[in-house]
Parts: sequence; C-alpha cells; structure tokens
Amino acid sequence: MSSQGQVSFRNIVKMHGEFAALKGVNFDIKPGEFFALLGPSGSGKSTTLRILAGLDAPTAGRVLIDDKDVTSTDARDRDIAMVFQSYALYPHMTVAENIAFPLEMAKLPKSEIAPTVKEAARKVKIDHLLDRKPGQLSGGQQQRCALARAIVRKARLFLLDEPLSNLDAKLRLETRAELKKLQRSLGITAVYVTHDQEEAMTLADRMAVFMSGEIQQVGTPAEVFARPNSIDIAGFIGNPPMNLVPARYVDGDVIIAGHRLKTTATTAGERDVVVGLRPGALRMTEGGLGARVDLIEDLGDTAVLDLDCAGTMIRMRVADGNIPGEGDTISITARPQDIHLFDPATRMRL
Amino acid sequence: MTAKRLRIFALLAISMMFLLAWAFPIIWSVLNSLKTDSDVLAYPPKLVFAPTLEAYRDVLFGSGSILPNLLSSVIISVGTTIVTMLMAVPAAYALARLRFRGKKFAGFYVLATQMLPPVGIIIPYFLVLRNIGWIDTYQGIILIYLSFSLPFAIWLLVSYFEDIPFEMEEAAYLDGASRLKTLWRIIIPQVRGGIAVTVVFVFLNAWNEFLFAVVLSGNTVRPVTVAMFNFVSVEQTLWAKLAAVSVLAMLPVVVLGVVAQKHIVKGLTVGAVKGGGRR
Ligand SMILES: Nc1ncnc2c1ncn2[C@@H]1O[C@H](COP(=O)(O)OP(=O)(O)OP(=O)(O)O)[C@@H](O)[C@H]1O
Ligand SMILES: [Mg+2]
Repeated sequence: MSSQGQVSFRNIVKMHGEFAALKGVNFDIKPGEFFALLGPSGSGKSTTLRILAGLDAPTAGRVLIDDKDVTSTDARDRDIAMVFQSYALYPHMTVAENIAFPLEMAKLPKSEIAPTVKEAARKVKIDHLLDRKPGQLSGGQQQRCALARAIVRKARLFLLDEPLSNLDAKLRLETRAELKKLQRSLGITAVYVTHDQEEAMTLADRMAVFMSGEIQQVGTPAEVFARPNSIDIAGFIGNPPMNLVPARYVDGDVIIAGHRLKTTATTAGERDVVVGLRPGALRMTEGGLGARVDLIEDLGDTAVLDLDCAGTMIRMRVADGNIPGEGDTISITARPQDIHLFDPATRMRL
Repeated sequence: MTAKRLRIFALLAISMMFLLAWAFPIIWSVLNSLKTDSDVLAYPPKLVFAPTLEAYRDVLFGSGSILPNLLSSVIISVGTTIVTMLMAVPAAYALARLRFRGKKFAGFYVLATQMLPPVGIIIPYFLVLRNIGWIDTYQGIILIYLSFSLPFAIWLLVSYFEDIPFEMEEAAYLDGASRLKTLWRIIIPQVRGGIAVTVVFVFLNAWNEFLFAVVLSGNTVRPVTVAMFNFVSVEQTLWAKLAAVSVLAMLPVVVLGVVAQKHIVKGLTVGAVKGGGRR
C-alpha cells in the first residue's frame, strides 16, 4: 500500500448564500483506502468531492492531504486525478491524446508518453481504440477512457463522482468489479461518490453516509449495515432497507401492534421508539406478530413479502421454497439482537 | 396533378420569385461589367452582346486604378478582424465563465452598441478622430470599426463558449493545465467553428462598410466601397466600370460565403436559438 493519499476534512462548511450545502463535515481517509461518499441526491457528496479536488473553496474549515493544509492550494497543484460523471473527455482529441494530456502537462518527455498511455489504456482494455475520438466511443468505452486519463499520471488521490451512473445495469456490475481490482492493483487512495448504497457496500473499504449536508456515520459497510446510526441511514441502506416501525419500549421489550418482542437494545424507562427491523432478520414462527401477506415480489432465489401488521407495512425477505401465498396470514418474529431502537424525536440510534 | 404536387410547384414558384429579387442586381452587375459603355446604355437592354473584359482592365490597370483601394480594403478588413479576434476571444471567454461585478451591464452594453443607429454617432467619431489626427489613417478607421465589431464578435462568441460544460475546464485544471493552457488547448479548439463564423462576419462587415468609411477616409486610405463612386460624377456615370468594381468588391464576399457556408448556417442557428439579431 502506498503511504500517500491520506485525507482529512476538518469542520468543512460550504454555504451557497443562506443555504448550507455542508454543515461542518469531518472525516479521515487512510492511504490506499477505497472510501465511498454515500447519500441521497442533494446531500452534499459532490460538493465534498469538489472541495477535496480544489474546484470549490469551502466557506470554513480545513482540508488536509498527507498532513499538509491544502485548503487554499490550486486544484492543479494538488496532484489529484478525477473521473467526472459526464466523463469530460476532450472531444477534439483522440483517446490517446486525451490520456496523454495530463502527462504533457506534467512535462513528461515525449518518448515516455506513448508507452505510458498505451499501458494505461491496456489496463482498462481500450488499447485498440486509441485513434478514435470520444464521439466515436460507446458510453462504456468513454467511461474507460476517462478512467485511463485519471490513472495514467499516478496521482496520489483518485476521485470518482458517480462514474458508473451513465452505464446500463449489466455494464455497471462488470465495471464495478474491475474498478475495485484496478484500485487494488494501483494501491491508490480512491474517493468514490455514489447515491447507490449497493455500489458503496460492495466497493468501499469504508464509507461516509451523508444526510442533508452532514455526515451521519462513518464506518465499514458491514458496520453501517449492522448498526445504522440514525433512522435516515437505516431507511437508506439495504435492499429493501430496514423496516422502521413506531413502537413502545417497556423495560426490555418493544410492543409493536400489540405484540411484545424481546430486545437486547436498552433505553431508560418507558417511552415511544422507532423499531428498526431488517427484512432479512425477520422469520416466521408460531405465536409471533400476526401479519397478512399483501404482495409477493419473487426475486428468484429469495422473495420479498409486503406484510400488513395491523395497519403497519413491514417487508420481509424469505428464502425460496418457504413462500406463503398472497392473502395468507402468517406470524413473524425477530431475534432480540436484531431489533434496533431509534429515538423518534432526534432520529438517532438509542 | 395531385394536391401535393401543386403545393411543391407553388412553393417553387414563390422561392424563385424571392431568389430572382435577390439575384437580379447581381446578375445585372455581372452582365453590365462585361459590356462596353455604349452597350450598357442601349435601349432596349441587350441580352445578347459581345462580352468584353475592357471594363475590368480599365478599373484594375487604367489611370483611375482601384487596386490601391482594394489593398486599403484588405488592410482595413484584415486589420479589424485580427484585432477584433485577439480581444474578443478572451473577452467572450471571460463573459461566459467568470463571475464579476458589472457582468450584466457589460452584456447589456454589448447589445446596446448593436442597436445604435450608426448615423447618430458619425459626427462625434469624426470630431474625435480629427482632433487626434487620425482621419484618413488605417488606425483611425480600424479603431472606429472595432467599436462595432468587437461587441458584435464578443456577443456572438459568448454563446459558443457557454455551450462548453464547466467540467471540461475543471478536468483540464486537475490534469495540471493552467487557465491559459486550458483556454488554448481545450476550449478554443472546441469553439473553432464559432471563431470561424465570427471571423467571417467581422471581416465581411468591415469589407462592406460604407457609411463610416466615406466620412473618415480620405485620399490615402480609401476602401473600395468608397472608391467605387469615382465612377459616378455629375456629368456621367461609367456604368460598366462601376459594375466591374462592384463585382470585384463582391468577390471576397462570395468566396468567403461559399467556403464558410456550413459554419455560417450553424452560426446563424446558434444566434437564433439563443435569441438575438445581428447587425
Ligand atoms: N451553486 C449552487 N448554488 C446553490 N446551491 C447549490 C449550488 N451547488 C450545489 N447546491 C446545493 O447544494 C446541495 C448539495 O449539492 P451536491 O451537488 O453536493 O449534491 P449531491 O449529494 O452530489 O447530489 P447528487 O447525488 O444529486 O449529485 C444541493 O442541495 C444543491 O442544490
Ligand atoms: Mg453529485
């Protein structure tokens, strides 16, 4: 792993007039890490990436790269490569010229440029397209060209803003896997913006979850999945996401639709809570919470059931071969450790 | 005959009428330039005559040769075009990209100059130039032409620059290019179509200009549009020569028009889409 490419954000604020796009953002990225910025549309991910790249200046706060304050350093002096969502390929240049451009700007000797370009193009499998113009490439090939242009220079940071969002579903899956391998083999720090939780979960070593201009949680995908910090994150991560059901907490139990469930989560006294239940953590049992099967979405190896529990909608994932019929009444439960509690007022985890 | 055919026929007839109205003066000039003076004045007009290049020989190499005037026109037009483009390209880029105080006003000013009736400012221009001794000089005429061509060129170019996404430049910065390098290597190559159109329009505007030229020029600097009137005097008008000169003066216009046709049509639609007129 390289020792370069460490990033710290210290209380970064970004105002657009009265509107706060970022309200004091803090995080640290370790060298060589694949770090995802995840969040719904408009939550400030791109803004964060642009501030890191030096394309926008923060209103307040400091950006550190490799322990050096770069808050007021020009974008072109930060030694950062970026893949834009629109790819931003130079339309008047061939693929080879596009990839060579950062090398030319770095004043690499001409004799070294051609082989370096070829090597980068080979890594992303477009070395047969070097003489084409971007307009003559498919979307996926353009995306690879943008990747090649970003990796050719061996910058210390590699930023990607939703690089896969313009690809079709199949290509997105393929490219996703290749991207991860590429980043591993280069040993470069990558910061990856996405609103697709599945993308972040599969790609990232760690991720920061953004909600309306704030980071609500930083952690590995497994940590965030296992212990979401807030109602908003719980409702965002997972497919389908966690069920969030209003309930009452009474010393060690939660009461949902009149049914008592044991929980290992604790809070003081007796109070209203929001209970989080992963669809995959629910199971059918005798004498559990009664529910009517409203709808079945069969996904092949599993199915997702829409259940009506006395007026509350709950989704449940069941394995194939275990699927009740639509309109059946079943009874469900969850293990005590699978019951998450949130405060309905602060929306934070209890 | 079907209704559809009838419609096509009607459309064709109407187009021909318009075309004729536009083409007639040009055909008339070309024909007359190939006649002798007596043939020109013949009544009824002769459609069949022995063509001669006499008029061309006279206006080019005769005593009142217009060659120096053609040269003047070339110097003025080329000079105006070069200076205009050197200033308009960076200015348009700035207007399209940078946020600065007074940007709105600058945009309005640029348009306002295009609306001003030229006759209204000809006297002040004359007085100013006379005071600094620039009447009948190239720099004088070019300076005055700049006052029109520059805003026009900027206004036309801005729409081309605005079509280039910001991310294109940001990508270049991150690739290590300076602002100037980005402008030169990334932006300008993408607006070369717009630059071509602007060059053509600015050149032709300068080439065709008459009103200012007639007032601000003199015996040393006299573009061909003004010199043409040497052939019109109180006693007589030398129609064949006048026609020959006008054909010569039209030549660069036609050549440029044909060469840059594709770009010009595109330029006109850009203007049309962005909602503006032109001088
Ligand atoms: N120039 C601007 N002026 C005003 N508001 C802005 C400006 N740029 C961004 N914003 C606002 O800042 C917020 C964050 O924008 P940002 O582009 O970072 O979102 P994002 O998380 O990348 O969303 P997406 O997934 O849709 O790309 C948005 O609400 C946006 O409307
Ligand atoms: Mg974004």
